[in-house]
Amino acid sequence: MVMKLPAGSTNNYIVRVENLSVYFTKGGMFSKKILIKALDNVSLTIRNREILGVVGESGSGKTTLGRTTIGLQKPTYGNVYLNVDGKEINVAKAKFKEINKYVQMVYQDPYSSIDPIMRVYDVLAMPLRYRKETDIDRKIEDAMRLVELPLELLENRVFQLSGGQRQRLSIARAIIVNPRYIVADEPTTMLDASLKGEILKIIKDAREVKGITFMLITHELPLAKIISDRIVVLYLGKVVEIGKANEIIKNPLHPYTQALIDAYPRINPEMKDKLKEAKIKPDIERPEKGCIFAPRCPFAMPKCKEQEPSLKEVAPDHYVACWLY
Amino acid sequence: MLLEVKDLKIYFYTKRGVVKAVDGVNLNVDKGEIVGLAGESGSGKSTIGYGIMRLVPYPGKIIEGQILFKGEDILKIDEETFRRNYRWKKIAMVFQGSMSGFTPVFKIKDQIIEVLKLHGWNGDYEERIKELFKMVNMDPVLADKYPHELSGGQKQRAFIAMALALNPELLIADEPTTALDVIVQQYIINLFKKLRKELGISIIFITHDLALLSEVTDRNYILYAGKIMESGPSEIIFKKPRHPYTQALIDSIATLDKDMIKGIPGTMPDLSNPPVGCRFNTRCPFAKDICFKEEPKMRMFSDGDEVACWLY
Repeated sequence: MVMKLPAGSTNNYIVRVENLSVYFTKGGMFSKKILIKALDNVSLTIRNREILGVVGESGSGKTTLGRTTIGLQKPTYGNVYLNVDGKEINVAKAKFKEINKYVQMVYQDPYSSIDPIMRVYDVLAMPLRYRKETDIDRKIEDAMRLVELPLELLENRVFQLSGGQRQRLSIARAIIVNPRYIVADEPTTMLDASLKGEILKIIKDAREVKGITFMLITHELPLAKIISDRIVVLYLGKVVEIGKANEIIKNPLHPYTQALIDAYPRINPEMKDKLKEAKIKPDIERPEKGCIFAPRCPFAMPKCKEQEPSLKEVAPDHYVACWLY
Repeated sequence: MLLEVKDLKIYFYTKRGVVKAVDGVNLNVDKGEIVGLAGESGSGKSTIGYGIMRLVPYPGKIIEGQILFKGEDILKIDEETFRRNYRWKKIAMVFQGSMSGFTPVFKIKDQIIEVLKLHGWNGDYEERIKELFKMVNMDPVLADKYPHELSGGQKQRAFIAMALALNPELLIADEPTTALDVIVQQYIINLFKKLRKELGISIIFITHDLALLSEVTDRNYILYAGKIMESGPSEIIFKKPRHPYTQALIDSIATLDKDMIKGIPGTMPDLSNPPVGCRFNTRCPFAKDICFKEEPKMRMFSDGDEVACWLY
């Protein structure tokens, strides 16, 4: 039997997400219980050694997707598989110890994700000691070099580091155990524009040098474009478009992706005052059925309100969920 | 000139020393002008905003300078008169993170009515709220809701409505779009343009997002470590910036037409012990001897650009 792979798959994948839904409930004590569909029937694969950019506005399910792929969040329905060392591991069913040698995470806020009173050396030594690894000093030096932190900082405490240095340390802590796959959740959001470029470069270097696959979660489309091989656009818990990064930016197919790209400011004073009114309404309503974007879509047809579109390959390796195609 | 800030110095008296957050800043805003104030975090841009509102938080203090509003030095007015006649009435501010600035336990409407009442608004409160909500492109029905029932973008617009309640002549908007997604950001930007056109209001737009500034401002001030590095019309600042800091800042912004972005190596100096000479000398690729000895003065160019740099 031939296994059916989700849109945009090759056999050389490291993560396979199959019909994944994650629901949360809100309220219940004093108010009506509401079901929030953080992810709704998402299928995709992450290819080996790729940097996959996941973009979408707040509440689109980006972080939930990242967390579920490394077992930090249990799926409500569907499965996530990790394809490493020649075997496929079902992430939700596996013991955490079984998968945590393959996966790591870099968090958004470098001020709260590292213990401020630890020494830099200990931050990096701890995961190695936990895994009973040897040659700790050499591995720490290698990791510090890869993230371009001066070795003199090893004796410093974390609170003495700047935000940019802390985020480098956070990446070093993730790569030091030689994982195969890292979820980087908005790693540049808390940093000044002047530091973002350097963090992106480190992620690229880590991929080149160590062959690590990255999921880069961001709400900043330009950053995703600069660093990713492919981009996934999420909207209210659904994948609306997947494709090569350049292709998505140059030739966006889904009306939501198009609106996102139009809304991006460009440094170009001639653009001033020529700016068109944003095509789509800013307020979110989630429809009961049909395409989730239909209430805001300028091209919505009667069919869009009735039936939900599924991902369709419109151009080579470029998938979109929209009835226009 | 609506607002003239002259040689403003705001220092913070902390246990670790005196932090010179704003150190001799000059800034002008004309009537109906949208002026950008940009820089990295810690450059002092919000502190200037708070200074103009006379709301500098403890342990900060305005120690020198003048803030002339229509020619009158508002730093010389006593607090009671300033509160009654200027703050919110003539100069209003949309604070950073003001989306969470509403009290969760009262309806938006009641919070705006309180502002109107406190400042002795003569007229129908309900009518005024309707007017204000229309001005910020919102359904007046939403005024009857509690803050948690609105989305982030709606709350931000409601706060702008509250800032406009008393017809101020100057609006200071401190990072008004930072926590919003791009589509909502575009709405807020278009809203500012509309307010300027319809009300003739002047706006100081404080942000670290230069790409966004380039779409809305007439003139800009680029701030670094408490000092203005460059100021000038948007066509110059974003097209051919002269100061190495402005150049680096623009190179570091990610836009969709770029394939790679550069960073600015190094970090901002400790402002309790700022470097001698130009404050950017620790990170500047062009720094020469004089930059470490003497502070450059503002130099004006014929195209209206002003730069404090020894390269020129």
